[in-house]
Amino acid sequence: MRALAKTAYFWKSAVQGVQRTPLIHLLAVITIAIVLLAAGLVRSSVQLLDSLTETIGGDVELTVYLKEGATESDAADVARTLESRTRGSAVVVSPQAALARLRAELRGVGDVLTDLPSNPLPYSVQLRVAPGFRTTDALRSLAAEAKAMPEIQDADYGEEAVARLAAIARAVRYAGLVGFTVIGLATVFIVAATLQLAIYARRDEIEIQKLVGATDRFVKAPFLVEGALQGLVGAALALAALWAFSASVGPRLQLLFAFVLRPGTELSPNPSVAWELLLAGCALGLSGSFVAVGRLLRT
Amino acid sequence: MIQMFHVYKAYANAPPCLSDVTLQIEKGEFVFVTGPSGAGKTTLLKLIFCAERPTDGQVLVEGRNLSRIKSSAIPFLRRNIGVVFQDFKLLTHRTVAENVAFTLHVLGVSKVECEERVRKMLKRVGLAHKADCLPQRLSGGEQQRVVIARALVNEPTILLADEPTGNLDPELTVEIMDLLCGVNVRGTTVVVATHDASLLARYRKRTIRLDGGFVAFDRNELKERVWMAAG
Repeated sequence: MRALAKTAYFWKSAVQGVQRTPLIHLLAVITIAIVLLAAGLVRSSVQLLDSLTETIGGDVELTVYLKEGATESDAADVARTLESRTRGSAVVVSPQAALARLRAELRGVGDVLTDLPSNPLPYSVQLRVAPGFRTTDALRSLAAEAKAMPEIQDADYGEEAVARLAAIARAVRYAGLVGFTVIGLATVFIVAATLQLAIYARRDEIEIQKLVGATDRFVKAPFLVEGALQGLVGAALALAALWAFSASVGPRLQLLFAFVLRPGTELSPNPSVAWELLLAGCALGLSGSFVAVGRLLRT
Repeated sequence: MIQMFHVYKAYANAPPCLSDVTLQIEKGEFVFVTGPSGAGKTTLLKLIFCAERPTDGQVLVEGRNLSRIKSSAIPFLRRNIGVVFQDFKLLTHRTVAENVAFTLHVLGVSKVECEERVRKMLKRVGLAHKADCLPQRLSGGEQQRVVIARALVNEPTILLADEPTGNLDPELTVEIMDLLCGVNVRGTTVVVATHDASLLARYRKRTIRLDGGFVAFDRNELKERVWMAAG
């Protein structure tokens, strides 16, 4: 009962606090909203990049070359083994087909291949890997595994391309994380500074609270609620701005990247992004008020 | 109830505010602490509600040694001590009832119980009809009665009043002092710091006089008279 009464008091006090110093709280809310909007845009960019990586990564194939003298049935066995190992789809390429493809790729100079006494190309298997294997590490270990098979001479995949794509995605993700951490910390101090003004306006109230036996936790609680409310409102504003941005720019981006984006790729913030932003907003607001009220109680 | 043993209180680069103060206040007593400005009256009260800690010596309140009390225990000690100040310390943007209820919110008293206790307390101090007024619209005496109501609404065992009539005219002074006496009659220990000699003459309660931080005298004229008459 007492806990319920105290909780009700904290909420009432927090709302009254916001009503008494609306401009200060608005400043904190706008700061949080701007930071979360930037974070949301970075998050959407990473999502877009992930989608691009997956689309381009979808073309990544592992090609295994069988040893000289291997037969079509050996190649079919290898294809089956790789398919069951990776849940991908494998195609056997005969030496004749490989030669024809090489001739086509060489275009003008391809005719020189007709003078060869015999076809030097072996049977090969082209494996289109499942999404779970479209990472550098997975492809590398799959290639090593394939090379260890007795019928196989060599295995090849677009290592550099995959590694480069993954590196770009990783760099953007880390840059976003570092950027968000730095800006987030700055925001905590900005929010703390603004809240300190609000707390200063209520110093008489705090003095009397302490006089009549309020614990530090009791004094802090309404300010923490205020901080959390600021964070939530800031996050809601950022989400609204993100939705507005995706609604206006999203269709153009989708047109621009239509050839590489997976079908159904959404550029507007999805529910998981919305939750992330709301939680981040809440954490920023709470941290700011925690710093501010901590400073006050120390003095 | 309140005991002090060889208490010293000094601030940096200043002579001590209190020197070798030893005294005992019993449960249910009414005590005036008097002396000129700077004698240490306010400091003595601050030591009792733990707004200050003694530099040396022991302060015991209800058996608890305040020289060794943890900071986290101070709020719980203060819930048993009501404090009244000369400058009222009322929240100007809150109504009279809200100011009084402030103490009960800290204790987590439910809304219904809170309203009932505030109503009774305002009736007791004669301000039931002003419950919804803002403090600025009240006279000095009424404001001080609100402060007393706020200090008493959680039924503390000790009431400390620091110059409670310092800002009031003689008529309102009597009104407030009568109220404090009434509180004492109900069993609350009351300690009033004042430099107003007319109050001491009028109410003839136990008086502790401080001078330069020392206890100059500790006299209970009424008791002395009773003893003399008896003996």
